[in-house]
Amino acid sequence: MFESIVSYGLAVGAIYAMTGITYNVMFSASRVFSFTAGMLGMLGGVLGAYFILQLGLPAIVGLVLVLACGALLGVVTEIVTVRPVLKNIEQHLYVLSTLAFALLVQQLTAIEWGTEAQPFPRLIPIGQGWLDQQFWLPMLACAVTIAGLEFLYRRTLVGRAFVAIAEDSYAARALGLPEQRLRLASFALAGVIGALAGFTGAEMLLAFFGNQAILNFYGFVPVALGGMGSNRGAVVGGLALGLFQQAANFLVGGIFAAVAVFVVFIVVLLLRPEGLAGGAAARRV
Amino acid sequence: MSIKRRQVLAGSAAVGAASLASGLAAPAIAANEPIKIGYLPALTGPSSSTGVGINRGSELAVKEINDAGGINGRKIELIVRDTQSDPTKAVNGAAELTKRQKVSIVWGPLNSGESLAAVPLVARDKVPELHPCWVDSLTDPAKYPMCFRNAPTNQQIGGAANTYVVDVLKLKKVAVVSDTTGYGTASVEAYVPMLKAKGADVVYSGHIDAANPDLKPDMLRMRDAGAQVVMPWSVNAGFLSRLLNTRGDMNWDIPVVGQTTLGSGQTKALLTKPEYWNKVYSNNFRNVCFTKDGKLPARASEFVARLDKANIEMGDTLLWWIALGYDGIKLIADTIKAAGDKPDQITAYWNKLSNWPGVYGNITFTPQQHNGFQDAEVVMCEVNSLKKGAFNLAPGYAS
Repeated sequence: MFESIVSYGLAVGAIYAMTGITYNVMFSASRVFSFTAGMLGMLGGVLGAYFILQLGLPAIVGLVLVLACGALLGVVTEIVTVRPVLKNIEQHLYVLSTLAFALLVQQLTAIEWGTEAQPFPRLIPIGQGWLDQQFWLPMLACAVTIAGLEFLYRRTLVGRAFVAIAEDSYAARALGLPEQRLRLASFALAGVIGALAGFTGAEMLLAFFGNQAILNFYGFVPVALGGMGSNRGAVVGGLALGLFQQAANFLVGGIFAAVAVFVVFIVVLLLRPEGLAGGAAARRV
Repeated sequence: MSIKRRQVLAGSAAVGAASLASGLAAPAIAANEPIKIGYLPALTGPSSSTGVGINRGSELAVKEINDAGGINGRKIELIVRDTQSDPTKAVNGAAELTKRQKVSIVWGPLNSGESLAAVPLVARDKVPELHPCWVDSLTDPAKYPMCFRNAPTNQQIGGAANTYVVDVLKLKKVAVVSDTTGYGTASVEAYVPMLKAKGADVVYSGHIDAANPDLKPDMLRMRDAGAQVVMPWSVNAGFLSRLLNTRGDMNWDIPVVGQTTLGSGQTKALLTKPEYWNKVYSNNFRNVCFTKDGKLPARASEFVARLDKANIEMGDTLLWWIALGYDGIKLIADTIKAAGDKPDQITAYWNKLSNWPGVYGNITFTPQQHNGFQDAEVVMCEVNSLKKGAFNLAPGYAS
């Protein structure tokens, strides 16, 4: 039982964490909470299965194409659903525009791909039981993602420009930073991370259009728990969520496991609305 | 021999006089008009795999009947409206067929979700309807007196699975689970009391979130409760394959008995090992299953030969879907031939229909019972025996 809780919990938690990071990367650059994170995860699995199983491409080519598609969708998301509503950010129109775009893509996927779950190939046939690829691959991808982002944000000029935009876009623009291009690049980066989450988790979650809603919600929980904009918080929140969900699955079972997750989520938000790792935000008056 | 104008006029006068004498008031052209059958299949969209299979049988029946001269000299005109797996489009299609096209009868919709929306509408327009959908409430002689079903109900489907578990496999300790959909939860609520009434001990029942990738906790609970058989009720291939994969990984050698999706190609494609499909038994129909000697019953065997001759593809669909489509049109044609194409004529004929011999099943209706499929014809099959769209009967059946 313990083995199963740890292996499944950490693997699912890593997928949630990467989806949470996808939310964060888009949010940091635009202050827009884009509900396309689950869509990117869903497409990571579906497109991966399409490229590798149906077109017969090598796994590495399939992965590169999936990440490229993710980046492209990130760019389209920014241009189509975010840029037009940024002028009226107070109205929260982005909730509708990003959600509508995600639902549109999901419906197209259902029509073209089908509504049945389909298999995702076992890419690296080493390890049995809890050492199977479906468990360690999402964890490895999560570790690479967080290490890469830490390096990007702390060690590179472009990364520091991202951070500057996230901290104060007005001041960054006044300093001459190309805000729009940086925001576009952030959405492309988020697209890559979201698609990577879906690709590496698809052996477990299958290539299924319905994964979008699950990832949209369970990917949001780590962000709320860890604090908006905090990638480290999202990782801790995601892994904790996965472990808790799997433990609840064993202890209370069935649909009550989902209820247990919701209860803890609400309790944490009541006690710490800014998230476990977040600080109280200053409000301009 | 030449025919003179006077002879033609004289002949016409004689025919006219004979017509008047025999009381034929309708113009002669009406007798040659095609018989319009409205047809509402889901040929596209998420539920279309069933519709595409049924459509192959329906089209074959229309072709055979028309090639043989039609019904009493009148051709069948199948007026097709693709529902696109969408209840709204099914309703629109039904309205067009009954109001604008003035069809004699409606065949379909072929999926329960669409029929739930369309059946009340067709009934309101007083047009006879035949459909193959399983949801129990889709026939009701009081509410829908012209609506009939040539397929089993959900009660018959669950009843066959329960009978197989308790009476054939002689297993008493049963776990009944479902996903959290309306179909799944309603099935568990309906079938658990039926099992208990048959003397089974339902040691575990519950609903499982189909999105959960790990079913081991639930399967461990079933095993710890002493279950000798698992009965999952779901049309979700992902959920069912996870359940079978978990059973295999646990080396838990018990049968899994349930709905037809257990035997679908989508479920098979998601199994981690082919042998995880062993000891899995799903609903099927006696008349289209291979018997112990590996042969189909005579009627189905002859039907398959005709399908082969007509080059109808069976590798990507199921024999019972094609047979069901064929039977739907044939039953309608036989009825119109025997009774006429008026709504009252069709309804009156069907209310007395006894043992109509179909490929898919024998159909009997009464004024009180518009569900024509017979209990004994709903059986279980071995899902890993799929060959040319048909399955072997599950072990334990006499023949």
